[in-house]
Formats: sequence, C-alpha cells, structure tokens
Amino acid sequence: MKNTVSGNFPAAARIGIGGPVGSGKTALIERLIPALEGRGIGVAVVTNDLVTREDAERLKASGLINPNKVRAVETGACPHTAIREDPTLNIQAADELVNLFPRTGIVIIESGGDNLASTFSLDLVDYWLFVIDAAGGDDIPRKKGPGIVRSDLLVINKTDLAPYVGSDLEQMKVDAIEVRGDRPIVLTNCASGDGIEAIIDHLSQSVLFDA
Amino acid sequence: MRTLTNIIGYSTDHDISGQLHALSYDDRVEYLLLNREDTHRHRLRVTTDKGTDCAIALDRETNLEDGSVLSLDDDGAIVVRMKQEQWLNFKPRDAAAALELGYFAGNLHWRVRFIDGVLGVAIEGPEKFYLDRLASHVSSGLIEIVANE
Repeated sequence: MKNTVSGNFPAAARIGIGGPVGSGKTALIERLIPALEGRGIGVAVVTNDLVTREDAERLKASGLINPNKVRAVETGACPHTAIREDPTLNIQAADELVNLFPRTGIVIIESGGDNLASTFSLDLVDYWLFVIDAAGGDDIPRKKGPGIVRSDLLVINKTDLAPYVGSDLEQMKVDAIEVRGDRPIVLTNCASGDGIEAIIDHLSQSVLFDA
Repeated sequence: MRTLTNIIGYSTDHDISGQLHALSYDDRVEYLLLNREDTHRHRLRVTTDKGTDCAIALDRETNLEDGSVLSLDDDGAIVVRMKQEQWLNFKPRDAAAALELGYFAGNLHWRVRFIDGVLGVAIEGPEKFYLDRLASHVSSGLIEIVANE
C-alpha cells in the first residue's frame, strides 16, 4: 500500500523509541504527543509488548490521542526481533495508521522493552531514540551496548530520581559522551516535562524538517 | 535547507550520465556521502560536499542507492555516493574456534560475510567496540585479525 500523506512530504516520518523495561518509554511518548501536536504535527503510535497490549491500552486511555491512532503489536517473543530482524508487523501497523490518518506527520514506534543490545532497523524507522534512566544505575552508559552507542539520540530519563538512588547524573553524561562521540544526548524528567522540547528540537532538525 | 523528495534517476542512466558529465565541467555536481546504514532511511538531514543543507524525505517504497540522483537541472545536480564499507576480518584457529566465533557474532547481531574461511564483520560503529568484544578471543589465539585484501 502506498502512503498518501503528510504535509509537504510524500510520507510520514517514522521514529523508534527503544530502551529497557521501566526506563520511561511510554511516559516519554505521553509527553511527546501533546508537544508534537502543539507544533501542528499529527501523531500516531505503534506499541510493542511481549504478550499483552498494556502500553497501547495505557495510551488509548490517556486522553492524549485519538485511540484509533494507536496500534499494538504483540511480539510474543524476543521483542527486539520485531523492530530489527523482521519488522514486518510494525511496518504493516504503521502503514495502516498512515493510510487511515493521511495527515499523520510522525509515527512513533515504541519497542517492547529491551536490553542494551537493542537497535532499530532503518527499514522500519528513519531515526531512533534509546531511553535509559538515572534510577537504573549511573553505570549504564559505561556498559555501552549498541542501543547506547548507536542510537540517533540517547535519552537519560528520570533525572529527578538520581539523588534518591545515589546516581551521579554528571558522570552519566560524561560517560555517554565518551562512548557516543558526536551523537546527541538529552536529559529528561517526564514527570515535569524537562527536556521534552529538546527532544522535539532534535526531531525537528533531523526528520521533521521544521527547524 | 533544500528539500528533496524523490529519486530522479541514477548516475549510470544514459541520459543522466551525460548531463552529469556536462555539469561536472563547471563543478556543479554536489555529492551526498552516505554510509550504507543511512541509505536505508527514508528521511534524513545531510550536507553535500559543497555544504548544501539537504532534507531528504522519500516515500516508503523508495530507497537511496549509490548513484541516486535527487536533483538535476541546468544549474546543478545532487547525487548520492555510498561510502565504502569497512570490515574487520577474523580467522579462526580451528573448527571449534570457528563455531565459537560464529555464535559470538550471531549473539551480538553483527552483520557478517564469509570469505575463504575468514569471517568479516561490518563496522557499523566505533571499531574499538568490536575489538573490545573479541579481545580475549584474540589474546588467547582462538582467532586472529586478518588485514583487508
């Protein structure tokens, strides 16, 4: 099926959001939806869960997005397989959303919760974020892994929790820069919204082209 | 920002190659140097060798290739050039080492090729990342690093 789509471009942008279970991927999406819509960019979402539709149901019930603009993919097995080795189900879900909602400017594809080795197929997405969190331990960037090293944008989330778990945010940032070189990093607190506009700015520059 | 939304043709197409040849005399052909991974993207922001800021947005069925021509008129052209891929080559000591190396590369989801008993790993990030992972295999003599031919 050929997309009809979105603004002045022949197809909606597709971005991936990966990262470990509990790092705050869904919370990030809940922040991105109103921020993107506020800039006039229509959003659709594909979620991936292992054996449930938990994240899709959460977004549908959030009141932030038309529930029909959310699709769930149940991977049933290794979640990163569905975003890398064989992303067919996710491509199909994104195609369906864009065909149903031709004014969609961006399709967000949330992975099912992965380890640090997870990456997105660039046949599926044009740009991908990897989300880790300060509460998971400040040694995570030092552990490298393709998600941390190769993602287009690394998000260090839950910065507000760092003092409560003894995580050194500055060290996380230094370590992340060390392993990523020029690739960008954003620190976020999805509870307050800190850092969300910085992510939107990166998306605008890299795939939305309104910056 | 220059927006490019389709592939006009390829630098090897008969008509196009003639036009590119003519434009090149006046240095009016710009190249977008992309690595293999980036050619899979359908949206990307890149700068040509002459500094033009380009926003590429293609439909989902169109893929960039080496030689894709994204812009062509009397004023100039913009052409994709794919960077040559870099490979790290490892030669296992024996069959047992080969099994271990194969398992290891698969487990890390590395993209590989096989040439005359040598396993090549496509370098898609810092080279050190790959060498660090295999440091103990090399130091123990299970595998050796072989130069590219």
